[in-house]
Amino acid sequence: MQNIFSEALLATTINLSTPLIIAVFAGLISERSGVINLALEGMMLAGACAAALGSYFTGNPYIGLMASIAIGMLMALAHAYATITWRGDQIISGLALIVASVGGTGFILQLIFKHGGNTPDVTPLPRIIIPFLQNIPVLGVLINKQTILVYFAYLLPVLMYLFLYKTPLGMRIRACGEDPRTADTLGINVYLTRYIAVLISGALAGLSGAYLSIVQLSKFQENMSAGRGWIAIAALILGKWRPWSVFLAALFFGFTDAIQLTMQVVFPDSKLPREIFLSLPYILTILVLAGFVGKAIGPAAGGKPYEKEQL
Amino acid sequence: MAKSSFSLREWLETTPIIVPVIAVILAFAFGALFILATGHNPIQAYILFIRGAFGNTFNLMETITKSIPLTIAGLAFLFAYRCGVFNIGTEGQLLIGAIAASLVGFLIKLPPVIHQIVLILTGAVFGALYAGIAGWLKAYRGVNEILSTLMLNYPAIYLTHFLVVKVFKAPGVVPATPLINKSAELPVIIPDTRLHAGIFIVIGLIFLVDFILRKTVLGYEIRAVGFNPTAAAYSGISIRKNVIIAIMISGALAGIAGSVEVMGLHHRFFDQFSPGYGFDGISVSLVALLNPFATFFSALFFGAMRTGSTEMQIFQEIPRQLMTLYQGIILFFIAGQLIFITFIRKIIRKRKE
Repeated sequence: MQNIFSEALLATTINLSTPLIIAVFAGLISERSGVINLALEGMMLAGACAAALGSYFTGNPYIGLMASIAIGMLMALAHAYATITWRGDQIISGLALIVASVGGTGFILQLIFKHGGNTPDVTPLPRIIIPFLQNIPVLGVLINKQTILVYFAYLLPVLMYLFLYKTPLGMRIRACGEDPRTADTLGINVYLTRYIAVLISGALAGLSGAYLSIVQLSKFQENMSAGRGWIAIAALILGKWRPWSVFLAALFFGFTDAIQLTMQVVFPDSKLPREIFLSLPYILTILVLAGFVGKAIGPAAGGKPYEKEQL
Repeated sequence: MAKSSFSLREWLETTPIIVPVIAVILAFAFGALFILATGHNPIQAYILFIRGAFGNTFNLMETITKSIPLTIAGLAFLFAYRCGVFNIGTEGQLLIGAIAASLVGFLIKLPPVIHQIVLILTGAVFGALYAGIAGWLKAYRGVNEILSTLMLNYPAIYLTHFLVVKVFKAPGVVPATPLINKSAELPVIIPDTRLHAGIFIVIGLIFLVDFILRKTVLGYEIRAVGFNPTAAAYSGISIRKNVIIAIMISGALAGIAGSVEVMGLHHRFFDQFSPGYGFDGISVSLVALLNPFATFFSALFFGAMRTGSTEMQIFQEIPRQLMTLYQGIILFFIAGQLIFITFIRKIIRKRKE
């Protein structure tokens, strides 16, 4: 068993939880404004594809990063337009965007490379080497030689906490999620505030997808998000829509995924079928939701379109 | 997550048929831009599409054949949604039902008609039990069913993969189970095509689902819970019981979709058995505005998207994934239908003035 708990496990945990952390905050900011964003999975997938293509065509992974933000925001704009401006159903719109992203990424892949499956190798995001950390055992593994996205992910709970609880815009976003009618009476533009929240959500979700394609791998694979957007939503519920708790929840899911991966190495396929380990993250997510959540109460106005009264 | 599904569900039942029609037209109009991007003429591509879907007897029958699992999967999503429950795990339930049916099909020897009935029931029972997990979790542990049903798709994919690759693999290169016994097959009903007797099962299920929902106490209670759970609970209807029953019947239907596909078309289970029929069931029933009869026509349309796009890919190398993109656009416009409804209303008003 000592093989399982090692520095490698820590490194894997960081690698696997980073996209979940970014995605869970994408979900958080949207839901706190009263708009459920089930499309996380789709925005991640599209973000992963855009990042890989951006890096492939320019050779500059940071352009890929920008591309993933752009596609995430574009999808978020569509979601916002249908659900905020036209009071459409948030769940169906979310599912629609997921379906569209599966089709869209597959289509583009086939169109550009004339074969499905995956893109050729692209330039990954560079890892940042901090010289004085190189010889420190645990911290060296955790902090050194990571990409900019990892640092960003670990700053996110602080940033998001400060934003949502200490800035006027953040407080307005939360007000729109709890009681839009009152917020409106107090002079807050509910539509605009929700648009901003959903667009930030899209940008974050796109970024989390970029991590999959230009950090974890150096290419895009079809359907590579593999349910991570949904696991992020599970983490959001588990963390009860609070910045610090959802951060820990995402970290927890990343950790269990890392254990699962490590166990695959420890127990070869001949002893225990790989399929058991591959199913574990999903089964565990369900069990955790069933066992620990109790009553999960989201933002009061979540899922409900807001209609301004006509004068 | 909030209970936002109810308002839409109510709405869908009163939505004019024009909405899905316009959603489809808009998808094909937007999609034309993507076809232009491939360097092809969209009109020519759509002519190929129609030829591929309906152009000759074989293609037409192929479209109808594909509509069989799509209709049943559509009925599955519809049934749970009438109770306000989102079952997006139809894909997993379909797979579980299909592999269970294929195992009973080749492991057990029974006389013809009985064997067929047993296979369908096997699919139904396994699909229902698998969906029942999510039902129980929702009713007793408060686990959001959108998440649990979606998550349960993955273990189903891995489990069936494991069974077909490592346990029940027939000799040969392809990871597939042995063929089911002849006594369990559904016969082809039009020679030289693949259209099989599963189409009669589809017709039967449509009437059955409509009957249960409209004419039975169970259906009344399920719709009452879907319509307004609080009011239903006040009048003594158990929310828990109906949620579990609705999702289990939904799972049973998805399982039947899988077993019929085994019995009528492939006669075995193989790795990557379903090309997303379970997922498509969601779109099928939403485009049908949750009407059991309309589900069949909606499924025909989705079947046509599959056969038609194959023709487009063969002759013009337009990637078939385009149809999945269309499906997303259609769903998007059904979700945000006011985008164009408002516009249409304005036009109508101007005409009147």
